[in-house]
Amino acid sequence: MNIAVCIKQVPDTETKVRVSGDKKWIEEGEINFILNPYDELAVEEGLKIAEAHSGEVTVLSLGPDRITSAIRSALAMGANKAIHIKTDKNPLDPMATAEALAQVLREGNYDLILLGKQAIDDDHQQIGPILSEKLGIPAANVVTKLEVSADKITAERQIEGGFEKIECALPAIVTTQRGLNEPRYASLKGIMAAKKIQIEEKIVTVPDDKIEILEINYPPEKPPGKIVGEGADAVPELIRLLKEEAKVIS
Amino acid sequence: MTDKNGHPSFFKSLFSGFFLEELVFPYPHMDKEEEENLNLIRDTIRKFCESYVDSPKFDREEKFPEDVINGMKELGLFGIVIPEEYGGFGLSTTAYVKILEEVAGFDGSMALIIGAHQSIGLKGLLLYGTEEQKQKYLPKLATGEMLAAYGLTEPGAGSDAAGIKTRAVRDEKKGVYVLNGNKMWITNGGIADFFTIFAKEEIDIPGEGKKDKISAFIVTREMGVQSGKKEEKMGIRATSTAELILENVEVPIENLLGERGKGFKVAMEILNTGRVGLAGGNIGGSKTALKYILNHVKERHQFGRPLISFEIIREKVAQIALRIFVAESMVYLTTSLIDRENIDFSLETAMCKVYSTDTLLINTNDCLQMAGGIGYSREYPYEQWVRDARINPIFEGTNEIMRIFTALSGIQERGEYLKKIGKALSDPIKGFGLLTDYAMHYMKNRLTKERIPDVHPTLAKAKADFEEWAKNLHITAERILVRYGKHIIKKQIIQYRIADAAIDLFGMIASISRVDDCIRIKGEENCHKMITLCNTFCGQAWRRVRRNLLMIDKNDDDQLLKITEFITEDEEYRV
Repeated sequence: MNIAVCIKQVPDTETKVRVSGDKKWIEEGEINFILNPYDELAVEEGLKIAEAHSGEVTVLSLGPDRITSAIRSALAMGANKAIHIKTDKNPLDPMATAEALAQVLREGNYDLILLGKQAIDDDHQQIGPILSEKLGIPAANVVTKLEVSADKITAERQIEGGFEKIECALPAIVTTQRGLNEPRYASLKGIMAAKKIQIEEKIVTVPDDKIEILEINYPPEKPPGKIVGEGADAVPELIRLLKEEAKVIS
Repeated sequence: MTDKNGHPSFFKSLFSGFFLEELVFPYPHMDKEEEENLNLIRDTIRKFCESYVDSPKFDREEKFPEDVINGMKELGLFGIVIPEEYGGFGLSTTAYVKILEEVAGFDGSMALIIGAHQSIGLKGLLLYGTEEQKQKYLPKLATGEMLAAYGLTEPGAGSDAAGIKTRAVRDEKKGVYVLNGNKMWITNGGIADFFTIFAKEEIDIPGEGKKDKISAFIVTREMGVQSGKKEEKMGIRATSTAELILENVEVPIENLLGERGKGFKVAMEILNTGRVGLAGGNIGGSKTALKYILNHVKERHQFGRPLISFEIIREKVAQIALRIFVAESMVYLTTSLIDRENIDFSLETAMCKVYSTDTLLINTNDCLQMAGGIGYSREYPYEQWVRDARINPIFEGTNEIMRIFTALSGIQERGEYLKKIGKALSDPIKGFGLLTDYAMHYMKNRLTKERIPDVHPTLAKAKADFEEWAKNLHITAERILVRYGKHIIKKQIIQYRIADAAIDLFGMIASISRVDDCIRIKGEENCHKMITLCNTFCGQAWRRVRRNLLMIDKNDDDQLLKITEFITEDEEYRV
């Protein structure tokens, strides 16, 4: 089985992100980048399916030079091949990114395309569905359980208040959600073996972004706590404020 | 200025007034590919530790779970420094020490299990093993199928390692050595299967007769090594520290490690490299404690303000950051010296060990202090960190021994040179060249300035202070050598001051080089934090150096020793 996993490099959740001066992006200088955690689930699932169906896993990622470390993480987990998609400009619109990915995916003749349900940086959640449209194949989104046979998949998806079980023919796209699996740790052996794999580079022209980032802003600061007073005397005032100001009790 | 093999030593040279620029400038960089690998390894360790390593639990239960050790084996953490041809990963010392730093940030015991295995347990095999020995043991050690331990210390031989009593008797007929004796405080002692053991054997030396000499041996568990019960310790409670009992253990002659009678050298060489791993681990411990306390001092309010708004707390936080920065600068300069090979790094590793372990104890203790009553509570990690830190200035060469070693090696270097000058003076014609050289050197301010490269202007003051006080260290070393001659060996308080001055100077030059390099690559505007750290440390350091060197001439040492005399005689405090 020929499996493709689309991955993205994102800022580490523990990194303190600073908005850049022009408010159009973030300061990348001191950021630690990681493999998007949802994509990690996709890599793990790909590896498991490949192990069970004697398949091969190719990871694809689009972005600047720094993303090779995310590609190496996926290779270190056990992926067999990697393609670094280089573009003339860095798309910020998922439509443009999906178009670039689709161009490369078409050449690969993949039976199954896996990717995280969303990237934890821009949170668009669009790549999977757009790819489905562009490649003309079915997509199962937000999948928490997946069974793969030679020509079809059965997937359990998270929906509001429950689960939905669906089936579709291969080739297909699956976007992965937490609970699907427990991603493996890359061992030193995997890491050292990954360094011997040549990352293939493909240069692709991307269409212009159709959306524009106007501004990136921090969430509003939490107002500071208020000390009403001390001891029992303060209780009536506290109750009044909880009722009238905070409106958490009635 | 070089060791017996002709390898240059930065600090021995500095004691002699020479600045070997190429050993410290430019600040070393990791190979790019290895750095990428290292980042992946760190990610893996972080994920693994967050899921499986419960440091407070391991401490409470005084046990490091076997399944976690098995997980570490699967990750490959026991084969980091073993070359690839023997089934390991062949990473550099720098990468290895950075891995230890990462691990120690999660759990001190875990770092020690890895460190006792690779920094010292199997290091002798790597350094002195024959091809057959390596083929036989390294693949098993790399996977962790065999865990290693280092067996030197004995009940009667701690700092005085040459005083070991374990005997090895060579039985040529059986083709074995028979080993008898006890080894104390052996890290991994209860769980290891592979031991580097030091024992004395009688060797017939031509012209000298029979003499007891130390030899090193590879001993494995199934040869009959017994372990005593796990020691109950103040800190690093999860490690298996145990006594080893060797009772008529028969070790095949081919398991001799290195040459017969040269075991002491093997033991010291292992520790010379091994102790830098400890230094690196200690940096990880300091970083974790700092991260944790920062959260506390920001959240905790007293007098209506967060703790971090009070100057004395701010000072403590800054000092911890400074110590971490300097320890990093020293340690990763030193690991690169080890990786470059053919460099004598024995003084540098000793100084790293002293600085990094002393400061871990200060740092964790300061964090505990800032946390106040919470710090003392067993519900919080501070007290465990202090307990875990406490062993570090003691083992792998006490910090007292490390300081004495640093001072005496430095002074000795000067002594060797002066001896040559002395000889030259007795035969002026033959020694003319040497004398001219000496005179020239003497005239040129001794510390030849032109060898120290220009650094970025923001560091110029720090560099000038380094030059001045490095020169003073060199002059002082020579002066006390002339004053005390061979009696310098007994002057331990002076040695201590010399060593502390040397450590500060090492911290200065390592930081200057590191920041100069940072500015060159990233530009001044992106190195402000480092520039501030470096200049602040250098300002503190040269003043300490000045005080230490001044106190060599003006001190109350005699009075101090007199106090010890009457207190000791009274056997209690009675005045």
